[in-house]
Amino acid sequence: MSGVHRIGGVLAFVLATVSPVAAQQPEPAGHIKTVSGAAFVLRHNATISARPGDAIFASDILRTSAGGAVGVTLRDDTRISLGADSEVRIDRYVYAPGAGGLGMVLKFVRGVAVYVSGRIAKLAPDSIRLESPAAIIGVRGTTLAIRVEP
Amino acid sequence: MSGGRTRLLLALAALVVLAGCGSKRVAPAPPAPPKPTLVVLLPDPESRITGRAIVSNEFGSTELAAPRASSLATATAAPGAVTTMSEEEVARIFGAALAALPPAPRHFTLQFKFESDALTDASVAMIPAILAAVRAIQVPEVAVVGHTDTMGEAKANLALGLKRAMTVRNILVQAGLAPSTVDVSSHGEADLAVKTRDRTAEPRNRRVEITVR
Repeated sequence: MSGVHRIGGVLAFVLATVSPVAAQQPEPAGHIKTVSGAAFVLRHNATISARPGDAIFASDILRTSAGGAVGVTLRDDTRISLGADSEVRIDRYVYAPGAGGLGMVLKFVRGVAVYVSGRIAKLAPDSIRLESPAAIIGVRGTTLAIRVEP
Repeated sequence: MSGGRTRLLLALAALVVLAGCGSKRVAPAPPAPPKPTLVVLLPDPESRITGRAIVSNEFGSTELAAPRASSLATATAAPGAVTTMSEEEVARIFGAALAALPPAPRHFTLQFKFESDALTDASVAMIPAILAAVRAIQVPEVAVVGHTDTMGEAKANLALGLKRAMTVRNILVQAGLAPSTVDVSSHGEADLAVKTRDRTAEPRNRRVEITVR
């Protein structure tokens, strides 16, 4: 009985040390650059106060409340900013031109936002999808302002 | 007797009231329709060039192609006809978001002397401007990306690009850049500045590109 438990314990230890892949951090999609007032990042159900320099990842939700604003720059130079009471989700972000991987899906959920396209739009504009509640927006080297009506 | 009948009537009355309460069930609210979306095309904040956007839903699509062209999309019809929004209206609705937009990333291309690890004189002269661009940003990131031309194998060029990027990274750190702000990578021959065929020497492709964000 105790022998079996000991073997189980050893196995668990070995598995924990030989699975570094599972522990690898995903590459950031970009970073927060400007913050004003109440701005947050929602990640895995945790709400984090946004600060300049913070990394942003695919699946992150950018959110502001009354009087808040935030600006982020992504690795391909795409820039996104939010006004007050707004929410934008980074559903997908792939920027790996050396390996042939390019793609971005942004979801404009609420409020006002500005989007300035970067290199993904130059290299593969059809791989970009800007989704809003009432329409999908396709881009060609574009700066857009989007408001989801309250 | 009357007492018994009163109690029975009361009991019946109570049952009727309760039955009435039971039948007042609140129907579940229908899902709210998707919110309308206003889309406005703006000139690029730095270059002032206006691109293009296409707003579509299941009912149709609309193209935006001029500065401040805008369309309102609703869930029940094709995106609305294009109108031009005034600069005042753009500032009123989007002013706070526009003010929060980060500055445009700055790009620098450095080149190497022929078959050498040394930067050209023109490229060396760019270093102070690069450092100044970094100092202008609150929390800067510097991406250093090495590139090659199409001479040689793709895999070897990936490594060569990385070697060039590391050389530039070391020069920048020597000149005062904090190592933690620098990210080094290589695109090998996959990201040519000047399009060429395979196995083609082209000095303009042998470069390191620096982005300051």
